[in-house]
Amino acid sequence: MSKMRADTAHEAFSSAALAGLRVIDLTTWRGHLCGRLLADMGADVIKVEPPGGHDGRTIGPFLNDEPHRDRSLFFWFYNLNKRSLTLDLEHQRGIEILRKLLESADIVIESFEPGRMDELGLGWQAVSGLYPALIMLSITPFGQTGPYRDYTADDTVLTALSGMLYVNGFPSRAPVRPLGLQAYHSSAYYAAIGTMCALFARDRAGVGQWIDLSMQEGTASAVEHVAGSYFGTGAIEPRRGTLHWSRYFRVGKCRDGYIMHCTLGDWTSLVQWVAGDGKAQDLVNPEWEDVVYRAAHAEHLFDVLDEWVKDYNRDELLERAQTLRLPYATVRPPEALLDDEQLAARGYFVEVEHPELGRTFRYPGAPYLFDGSPWRVYRRPPLVGEHTAEILHEIGIDAGETESLMAEGII
Amino acid sequence: MAALPLEGIRVLDFTWVVAGPVATRILADFGAEVIKLERKPGPPGSRQIGLQGDLHRNKHSIAVNMATPEGIGIARKLAMVSDLVIDNFSARVMRSWGMDFASLSQLKPEIVCVSMSGLGHTGPRSNYVSYGPTLQALSGYTLLMSEGGGHPAGYGYSYADMSGGYTGALASLIALWHRRRTGRGQFVDLSQFEAVTSVIGPALLDIAVNGRAQGPFDYRSQEKPSAPHGVYRCRPRDGDDDRWLAISVCSQAEWEHFIGVLGSPSWTSEARFRTLYLRMRNSADLDARVAQWTATQVAEEAMERLQRAGIAAGVIANGQDLCERDPHLQARKFWGTVTLPDGQRTHTTGIAARLSSTPGSVRTPSPLIGSSNHYVLRELLGLNQTECDDLVTARAVWPE
Repeated sequence: MSKMRADTAHEAFSSAALAGLRVIDLTTWRGHLCGRLLADMGADVIKVEPPGGHDGRTIGPFLNDEPHRDRSLFFWFYNLNKRSLTLDLEHQRGIEILRKLLESADIVIESFEPGRMDELGLGWQAVSGLYPALIMLSITPFGQTGPYRDYTADDTVLTALSGMLYVNGFPSRAPVRPLGLQAYHSSAYYAAIGTMCALFARDRAGVGQWIDLSMQEGTASAVEHVAGSYFGTGAIEPRRGTLHWSRYFRVGKCRDGYIMHCTLGDWTSLVQWVAGDGKAQDLVNPEWEDVVYRAAHAEHLFDVLDEWVKDYNRDELLERAQTLRLPYATVRPPEALLDDEQLAARGYFVEVEHPELGRTFRYPGAPYLFDGSPWRVYRRPPLVGEHTAEILHEIGIDAGETESLMAEGII
Repeated sequence: MAALPLEGIRVLDFTWVVAGPVATRILADFGAEVIKLERKPGPPGSRQIGLQGDLHRNKHSIAVNMATPEGIGIARKLAMVSDLVIDNFSARVMRSWGMDFASLSQLKPEIVCVSMSGLGHTGPRSNYVSYGPTLQALSGYTLLMSEGGGHPAGYGYSYADMSGGYTGALASLIALWHRRRTGRGQFVDLSQFEAVTSVIGPALLDIAVNGRAQGPFDYRSQEKPSAPHGVYRCRPRDGDDDRWLAISVCSQAEWEHFIGVLGSPSWTSEARFRTLYLRMRNSADLDARVAQWTATQVAEEAMERLQRAGIAAGVIANGQDLCERDPHLQARKFWGTVTLPDGQRTHTTGIAARLSSTPGSVRTPSPLIGSSNHYVLRELLGLNQTECDDLVTARAVWPE
């Protein structure tokens, strides 16, 4: 029985897309999503934490709002599927162990202040000499060069400097910050993309390289129209409230909540429906059939449509709109995702067992469904230093040495 | 020119609108040969500048009429010489052309197919019609982008399109890597709805595990506790009063440095601002005080002084700040330049991940529709000129 289970586990691992790749994750909480994206697809990602535990473990929310280093949901989200090794990098012996670890690795991800890896004797020049096939990814707020190199930023400051924050909110009022840590998240995806590209290059040339990921640039690359408009026409994109810059979408208010209007669907179906409710006003005129005209006169168009939807319930409106192939949506709170039929049917939320707590928790799941080498949960987020002994054993450090390292507080 | 990391990978690209083209643009930037199959003849105007230019640069374009059997034949032949076929349709479209993974993999088992539909190929809502702005409404972003829980204040753009795009690029690369290792192709069913839901982050786990409703919106830090933390209006610049600074102050040491920059006015020594806990509790009063200071400051100068003191501060950049005035992005030469066929030069968004030895690059502008017909039909598919002419006559291929 136990053998069968081991075989099944082995098969799952070898069918994983990134099986066989080892990643050393030295990042702070600002960079740790990238390693998670690789771990979810089967890479062996080792989170290196200081002996007391990673800083990210002190950030909430916490399970039941009780602060505890192994119960930070913030840490859980970003570290699912990783293993944890504690290592004191302030100590020379800690650095030596890290070097040994890098020998076995394909990728190292770090998000220290620029120059810190050099101080540790692990700058790119040193690392590439020692481990020519290693790929090093540095994720920092502003990158490794330029006048802001040593500046500091959190997610809010990054969304400011990348053009993301300015365009959200109402014209004459304060800009509104995006939900979630989108500067970190979009940068993590670009970081993972860069890493995959470096793997393809290494496959051909045999050598690794250094990836300089500036989160300001990663975030600026995740705003579609600000630079496009400025370079295209010289226009500074303003804040427009809920009117989308394309002028085909705006939020409207139903009896029981909000909906997103969209005027890109089949116009005849929409206008027949609105006219049937006696609310079409001038929308029956032929000029509205022209999609460009609809964008040019969006304010009036949406005002008429707002009058029309206000007596509907939003779910009723959504179902009828979609039946007519009109791309409407309800504007829901994120809590609604938990009961969403579509996500449920596709198994989006997954149950992750935390044996140390005797409980199972629902986690958000796969951003993509691979039919041959699926996204999966290999292990819950690690406890502090949970895999230290096993990882040290893998790189040839014996039990006696491990014990003395522990006594010295290095692991 | 340095080698490109994705050289040798060919992508047949059916995507349109924004999310799909973002995904294939990223692959093209890093050297994949992306052949954009356009299903209609081009408009006479140009799509080479602005957002459209950004979306399609570095790509080839072929114009194929998929309503004809000959057009479908060309597309299928092209799939046979490609590594990746990517679309953003609902399930039935590619199936109706015999271009879905099930059909193509019978002829070429190592093909990778990525479909980036709105809500996925399976499930009761798989036929919903959607766009980026409607998907982010469904996933919670739009409602929480409000001021103090009131009427939604708006996302100014479709983050769902961008998250769908970079998720699509990453999925493509991971599937291609798996193929390189195992020789096996596969199908990736990417729901853009799930992609944008996945970047909500820890807040989603807070909902799922603690059952906590999120919002209403405020400027509370979503990472380390911090106060002041928010956006503060600055002194007008050249008659523009829409100038703002984002500031985040975490530790006690940072607070000491922060009030040093302000010149330690008397309010900063008030008991109610003494500790981080108290500053967070009294954040409304604190924010009003900080805003009084920023109102006397030029945003750029205040940012500079705060950063020199080790405080996270940044100008809330508008398009001009971002593209023209930000000295850091200029020094790093972030913005790319392309030369259009008429000799005009235009700028374009740069490449976010900088690889030291095989960097991605901006090489060619967004193509005119059908401009690679000759290359694709003659060189890739080996047709002769008569066969190409026949395709045009049969209206299976539109000329450039």
